[in-house]
Parts: sequence; structure tokens; C-alpha cells
Amino acid sequence: MTTVLIVDDSKLARIVIGKAVAALEPEWRRLEAGGADEALTVLGQQPVDVVLLDFNMPGRNGLELAEELRARFPDMPIALATANLQDEVIGRARAAGAAFVPKPITEDGLRDFLSGAALHLRRIRSDL
Amino acid sequence: MIRVRGDDTRFDDAAPGDLAYALPGGPGVWAWDLEAGRLSGDARFASLYEVDPVEALTGLPGEVFFRNVHPDDALRLRIAVASVAHGAEVFNRDYRLIGRQGVRWLSARGRAHHDLERGARRFSGILIDISEQKRVEEQLRIAQTAGGVGTFEHVEGFGTVTVAAQFCRLLGLHVAPALPVRTINGLVHPDDPPLIGPAPTELATQLELRIRRADTGEERWLAVRGERQRDTEHAGFRFIGVIYDVTETKKTEAKLRELTRTLEARVEARTQERDRLWNASRDLFAVLDPDCTISSANPAWKRVLGLSDEELIGRRFHDLVHPLDMPLADIPWPAFDGAKEPRDFDVRLTAKDGGSRWINWTVIPLDQAYYAVGRDVTERKLLEEQLRQSQKMEAVGQLTGGLAHDFNNMLTGILGGLDMVSRRIDAGRLDEAGRYIDAASAAAKRAAALTHRLLAFSRRQPLAQRAVDVNVLVTSMQDLLTRTLGEQVELQVSLDQRLSPALSDPNQLENAILNLAINARDAMPDGGTLTIETANSELCGVPGDDESPRGEFVTVRVRDTGVGMPPEVLARVFDPFYTTKPLGQGTGLGLSMVYGFVRQTGGDVRITSEPDAGAVVELYLPKAHVEAVERPPPQAAGAPQGSGECILVVEDDEQVRMLVVDVLDELGYHVEAVGNAGEAVAILESSQRLDVMVSDIGLPGLSGRQLAEIAREARPKLPVLFMTGYAAAAAQPTGFLGPRMEMISKPFEPDALAYKIRRMVED
Amino acid sequence: MTYETPLLTDLQVDALTELVNIGVSRAAASLRQMVGRQVVLSVPSIEVTSRRTAAALMTERELGPLVTVSQTFTGGFSGRAMLIFPEANSLALARAVTGDDLAPEELQDFEDEALRETGNVVLSNCLATMANMLRYPLEMSIPAVAREEASGLFGDDLGSTGGAVLFLYINFAVSDHDIRGYIALLMDLPSLAALRSVVSDFIVRVLEQPKSIRA
Repeated sequence: MTTVLIVDDSKLARIVIGKAVAALEPEWRRLEAGGADEALTVLGQQPVDVVLLDFNMPGRNGLELAEELRARFPDMPIALATANLQDEVIGRARAAGAAFVPKPITEDGLRDFLSGAALHLRRIRSDL
Repeated sequence: MIRVRGDDTRFDDAAPGDLAYALPGGPGVWAWDLEAGRLSGDARFASLYEVDPVEALTGLPGEVFFRNVHPDDALRLRIAVASVAHGAEVFNRDYRLIGRQGVRWLSARGRAHHDLERGARRFSGILIDISEQKRVEEQLRIAQTAGGVGTFEHVEGFGTVTVAAQFCRLLGLHVAPALPVRTINGLVHPDDPPLIGPAPTELATQLELRIRRADTGEERWLAVRGERQRDTEHAGFRFIGVIYDVTETKKTEAKLRELTRTLEARVEARTQERDRLWNASRDLFAVLDPDCTISSANPAWKRVLGLSDEELIGRRFHDLVHPLDMPLADIPWPAFDGAKEPRDFDVRLTAKDGGSRWINWTVIPLDQAYYAVGRDVTERKLLEEQLRQSQKMEAVGQLTGGLAHDFNNMLTGILGGLDMVSRRIDAGRLDEAGRYIDAASAAAKRAAALTHRLLAFSRRQPLAQRAVDVNVLVTSMQDLLTRTLGEQVELQVSLDQRLSPALSDPNQLENAILNLAINARDAMPDGGTLTIETANSELCGVPGDDESPRGEFVTVRVRDTGVGMPPEVLARVFDPFYTTKPLGQGTGLGLSMVYGFVRQTGGDVRITSEPDAGAVVELYLPKAHVEAVERPPPQAAGAPQGSGECILVVEDDEQVRMLVVDVLDELGYHVEAVGNAGEAVAILESSQRLDVMVSDIGLPGLSGRQLAEIAREARPKLPVLFMTGYAAAAAQPTGFLGPRMEMISKPFEPDALAYKIRRMVED
Repeated sequence: MTYETPLLTDLQVDALTELVNIGVSRAAASLRQMVGRQVVLSVPSIEVTSRRTAAALMTERELGPLVTVSQTFTGGFSGRAMLIFPEANSLALARAVTGDDLAPEELQDFEDEALRETGNVVLSNCLATMANMLRYPLEMSIPAVAREEASGLFGDDLGSTGGAVLFLYINFAVSDHDIRGYIALLMDLPSLAALRSVVSDFIVRVLEQPKSIRA
């Protein structure tokens, strides 16, 4: 059972992303959080396998959250979704070991990341 | 896909194999290996860039792309290419390339294929020579600006319209390449169709609409012309068109419309005015068909004659005319050739209550209809009649002097006769009384006849025109005229036996002739001859005077041998109240009345005169269009009778002598007739009673005039009547004749002789 | 009014126009992905003008109330990016970007969110592209949705120095929807000076690297 956490301040965006995820990985359990703090709370309560982060959020932005999560979960597949495709942003995301998903989110845009994440999770689990 | 500026940027990626093709005038193909920095192109590309085609195929440094680019365009081109490296998908640039043949405009279009991680990988496209297109565009731009024509293009379904700068300027908007449909339509007058409307059924659009300029708020008229074309890359339509300002045209149109509108209003007002005239006029208005059927009549008909539309429309005009005036109404109506202005005419119309009104009509023929205006002149007619009557009484007054004498003579005859009868009865000679009774009776009859004529003349009679036999009328007047003229004026009558009947009022005509006779008499204070002639004649009209009568007429010519008139008097003779007579002797209305009456019946009066050469007055009476004339009953008055007076007749022509003797005998005279002067002298020197001598002038031996001298020796007061066949002598009798001498022209009417003798006897 | 002093040279305006063009091309591509429809863009128009003139320009075109999605940006140059469209269009735009994901009654609740997300995608794409090409990173705020009349569009939240603005706008229209809008970049005078220097650097860089097109 794989659990994915979708973090976006926009409920609409969460619905859209959730639908795309459901289309690609129907078996996965989906959790949602409206911001960085809520995301950390969710993560403290239950195991999460994959995190999809919106870059542009009130409070801590997605990039900052990604860097923090990477420190706590070195192996967790993390993706940063943003329309802000500045070289800087992409560079920092890459440095934090987060995949880059351009907004607007589409199934095509998510497919590579999700399939990569699924493969990664299977490898970790088999290693265990 | 993305469309920029509405340009068609769709093209397929150029495959390496395409580079072998070179289409003259067609697009060149190029591909840019961004990793290696190598640019390759086909033969067309090489030709446009003026590089070796083989090198172009194998690959050139990328910098070649910017070589020879016009300095003003070089930077833009570099930026555009640099953009591709930073994620721009579409490359689309127009720029100038300076070649050996001169400057040409090129359009390079391409597409980059990106890899998010590594940037642009592949960049290829086409190259088109658009020099011609640029030139045309420039021409178009100039044409648009100069012609004030603004182009636009709208792809169905989009909220904005691609527009030219001139389009924005025409709407008073800031220049922008695209404008919202709502913005454009928002400027259009609410009552007008939208400039960019919903998809129409027809492909071509032609509109005219008002807009309120965004900058000044001014209202302008725009014309929209456009076509809908099926969009090649889109399921719908593309609406391409132009707008231009037609405010001035519209203003001119509006001005014209206003003119037309006010013209209508003016016409309406005029029509109203005319309606009011039509409705309010006291004159009768009617429109009649060419056959004189009334097709329209105004309310005055109701007021004047009590006749409503229902009683008028469809009726013939003539059905309304008083039967007595029918001949007048039958005068041919004016022709439709419009050649002459019609004269008016007076007829009585029968009113609904059975009465009648005199209406003066003016009829104008126009457009196959008669336009008739009738004025009620009944009151005027009454006044005229009264005036005519006074004229007549004036004439009667003038007659009275002469008539009184006649009457005295007649009374003398009667009284004398009665006295003789009385004496014979006293003497018991009753058998002789019959003669005197007869003589008295004859005198009384003559008096009665004269009185009858006088009364008939002075009787008040309404004007009534009808066909008149003028000869009969003149003949019947002879007695009266003779008495009126006096002894010094001889009356001669010459009648055309084939005379046509005239259309006139006999009473008025009598009056006119009498007036003329009196005038003539007054013009001959020393005596003379008055000639009355009748004849048929024809008038051609007076050139230049459309109103002068023309056609067939019956002429009555009254000629005198009087003092005549100078031209200045002649010019005024028809003026009312103009007279040359001493105060109290004439009203001056005589000739003007004659003129008025004759003109009124459609005739004419002409007068010619010279000082000391007499005057001729001609009455032209219109010919009556009737078959037969109803002749008035013969006048009762006969020639004046003699009463046994003794008359010596000297005439060498036996037949003439016999006739004269028979006439005088019949008239009641005792006649002694001789054939020469010698026999006459014997009787003259005898004691035999002689009252008058009648002598031919041209006698054998002694002339008639010499005989008269001898006669006067013996009987100084004996009246002498000369008979002559010489017109010249008769024409100038004054110097020839002595006192109590008269002359009669041969041939003469027995009655004329009777009058002459009678007058001489009675004097 | 338009300022007579040329704050930007013709070449700078050209370069900036091209940059914006690329930025909005990306933005339009994003929008196209969101609405699944053809999107038409006008060539960007760049003008240094007063806010009042800029507002008048919008007032002239748009009569009714407008919806704006704004994002401020700071960095090598600063200002505010705005996505502007008629309020009458906003529900249609929200529906277009959400597609069949939402029921109509849900859409009502998510309208503003949908607009903000749309604005975010469009404006971020545009600004990011420009930042990348100019090589000056930009910090972008979270987008804010507002409804206002055209006349009040360019309020004075740009500070006391904001007498003049770089008014850069571009029309866009979405096929088969009565959706149209404008993208505007507003910068005050100090930002304008910064932008000028940034653009100059860009021009120099482009011209100094003739051998390679890799920027």
C-alpha cells in the first residue's frame, strides 16, 4: 500500500492533482495538506511514501519544505510542482533531490515522476 | 499550438531529406543543430543567403544566419534566436538581408524542440522571400492611411479582433493590434447592428452604422465591408473586412432627406392651403372629363346651388344649364392643345330648389380634364339688366321728340277724320262718312303700331341668347329707326339674303343697333345717310391677341356719313362713361354697353373712322350652330298709309312710274302721274291740289332739279322727293337738295317710299 | 500622458518586447494546456506612461467591472504582473480551466481559486521565462484576486515614486469562449531604471556571443 501526500494551498489544485494521481496509480492512498505546517503534522501521524509539493504556498514555500523533508526522509520521492520554471528554482529543487513537475499539472507531466517513484519504492521495499 | 499575431505559423518540421529540394520562389528550408552550432540549408536557402549550396547542405557556422542582415534588424533577430534557447517554442522573424541584388525582405519561421533538462535541442524552419509581400503591405498601409480605410480580421469564436492602426483611429481608440469585440461593438449606436456581428448567413457583409468615437464622443458614420471566409485551420469562419468613414456622405444624404422631407411638408402645407381654398371658396370649382362629365366638385356647389357631390359627380355639365342658355353652353369648349387661354362665359345653372343662378365660368383644359371655376354673378346680372334698361329708356327718351310729332300727326288724322265724320253726319251725308272713318282708323292703327314697337322696345326683358335672324330683326326696326333718325338722315338697309343665324340676345341686339343709329344721327347734324348692312364673315383673330375672337360670324355693319372721329377719340370709344356729347345728352355708356354685350356673347366690335369721313361700326355676332331660326311673328305695323293727299309723280320710265303710282294709290293717296317735265309744269301751274311732288332726277329735257325750281316758283312750300339711280348723288345729298327736298335711291322698297312720302306729306 | 523622456532606447524596447513575447508565449502555452483550446495573443505593446493613462486605455476597452490576478515580483527588477479580464468572463474562464472536474455548484465556490491558479500559472510562466533569459532571479508573491473597475486598476500601491509606469500589455483571446484578457506588467520609475540596466546587459550578452546561440 502506497500513500501519497498532496500539498497545495489550493483545494482546486489538490483535486486536479488527486485526479491525475488516481488515473495513473489507482491503488494509491491519497492524503492532502493545505500548507507546509499541515503537511508536517500529517507526516507525524502516519507513514507517507510519496510527496507532491506545490512551490508557491503561503508561509513556507514548497522548496523550503522539500529541503526539510529531504533532511528527514532521505529516500522519499519528492516532486515540486510549479509554473515558476526559473533556472534557480529548478536548480535548487534538483539540489534538494526533488523532481520538477511543470504546472499546469497534467497526467503526462506526472507520469514520469510517479512511475519513477513507484519503481524506487519497490526497490527500497525489496531491499528491506 | 500557439498563434502569434494571427500569422499562420504552422508548418511541418523540416526533415533532412527536404534539404535536397530547391523551389525557385518557394520556401527555403533550414535546420540548426544547436549543440554543434551548425546551420544547414537547402539550395533555395543557399540562394537567398547567397552561400554555396553544397556548403549549405553540409553545414555552415551558425553565425552565417546573421551575416548581411540589415543593421536595424540584426539585434532583433539575435534576440529572437536567443529566445529559442530559453524556451521559446516558436521562432518567427521578418528581417532584411542585404544581398548583391539589393535588399530583400525575408521571413524566417521555425520551431524548437525542447528538453526541459537540457534546453533546446533541435531548431528548424523555413525561409521565405517576402519582399513582394512587404511592398504590397506597404502599399496597403499607405492606401489605408490615405484612404482612411481600416482593416480588421476576426476569427469566429474569439473575443478579440485583429485590427489595423487606421481601424483604431477611425473609432477614436488608441492604436492596438487587437481590440475586444465588445469594445468595438460598444461604440456602435444602440439602434444600429454590431460592427462585428454574429455569423451571418451570407458571406459578404455590407453595413452602415453610427459609432461614438471613444476619444471625442463625436458621432460618426462608418461603412463596413467584409467577407466571411472559411478558416483553413479552424472549423469556423474568419471575418475579414474594412471600415471607412462615410459621415460626410451620410450628412449629405441626411440633408437631401431633410430637403425631401421638408419638401413633402411644404407640399403638404401647400396642399392644405389649396384644400382650404377648394373647400372655403365661394366660387364653384369643378374638374370635368373631356366629355364635360363632372368628376370633382367643391362644397361651394352645395352652398350656391344646393347640389351635393352625389348629385354632381358623373353628371354632365350641360344637364345643369338652364334650357334658355343651352346654346351658350354649347359653344365649343376650349381645345386640349393648350394653344389659347379660354374666354369666360355666363350661363344660368338650375339650382336644386328649381331656381337658377347666373354663373360666370372660366374653363381651362389641362391634362385631358377641364378645370372649371364658376362665380355666382346673379347679382351683377340683375344690375346689368337694370343698367341696360336705363340705357334703353335713355334711347326711348331720345326717340320721344320725333315720335311726339308723329303722334300729333296721327292724332290729327284721327281727330280730323272724326270731325269730318261728325260734320257729314250732321249734314246727313252718311255715305261720305265711311271714308273719314277709314282714314281715322288708319291713323289710329299707325299710332297703335308705333306705340306697340315703342313698348316692345322698352319692355324689360332678361338677357337671353338664342339663334337670331338678324335680317328679320333689322327689318322690323326700320320703322323705328327711320323715325329716330329724322328727315335729314336717310336710312339704307342692305341685307344679305343668305345670312346665317347669329347667337345673340335679340332685345340687346336691337338696343345695340338703336344706340349705334342714335350715335350716327348725332354725328350727322347736317344730315346724311345711315347704312345698315348684314353679311356673313369670318375673323382670323388679331395676331398676338389670343383673346380676339376668330371663326365664323354674322356681321351687322352700321355706317354713317357724319363728322367722323380723330384717332384719340376712336381709341376711347369703348371706355365706359366716355362721351363726346354735351353734358346731359348721353351717359357715355352706349358704345361700351354695345361692346360689352357683343363680347359677352363671344363676338367682337370693330370701329373705323376718320375725321370728316364718317364712321363704320361692325358688330361680329357668333354664328349660331342651329339648323333653323325660330322666326318672330311678323310685325303688325305696316307701311304708313296716305289719306287722300295728292301726289304728282314725274317719271319717264313707264314701268317705274306705274309701280310708284300703284304703291301710292294703295297707300291711300290721290296720284297724278306724268311722263315728262312739260306735263308736270302744266299741273304745277294749275290750281289742282298738290301735297308732294315725286320726281326722277334724270328726266328728258328739264332735269328733276330744274323742275323742282319751277315748281317752287308756283308752290314755294311744295315738298319734293327725288328718285335717283345714281348712288353718288344719293351719297352727297346735302348740297344738292334744298329745303323740303328729299331723295330716295332706286331701287327702293315700297315701304321706304311710303315712309318718305308720309313724312313729307305730314311736314 | 506619455512621458517624453525616453526611459528606454528603441533597442531596449525591442529587446524587452521580444522577451515579453517569449514569456507570454510560454504563458499562452500554459493557458492552452489548461483550457484545452486555441489561444490567440497580440504582439506586446510597451509604453512608458502614467497610471492614469494606462487606466484610461483599459477603460476605453473594457466597460464593465474587471477581475485581476496580480503577482508582485522582486529581484533584479521589481513590479507587478497582472492578468486582467472582464468579470463577465471569469466564470467561463474558471469553467474552462477546471473542465469537467467540478459540478456547477462547486465551481461557484472554486471560482476565485481557479482564477488565482490560472493567474499563477500564466504569470509565473511569463516572469520565469523573462528571469531566465535576463539571468536575474525573481521572487514572486502568491497571486491575489481582486475585482475592480478599469479606472481603479492601477492603484497607487506601487509607492510614492510610481508616477510613471512601464505599461506593458498584451491581449489574449480564447477560441470558442467569450474569454479575453490582458497581461500587464507595471513597474515604477526606480524599477524601470533597474530593468533598463538588466536589459542592457542582456543585449550586450546576446551581441557578445555571436559564435553560439546558447545564452
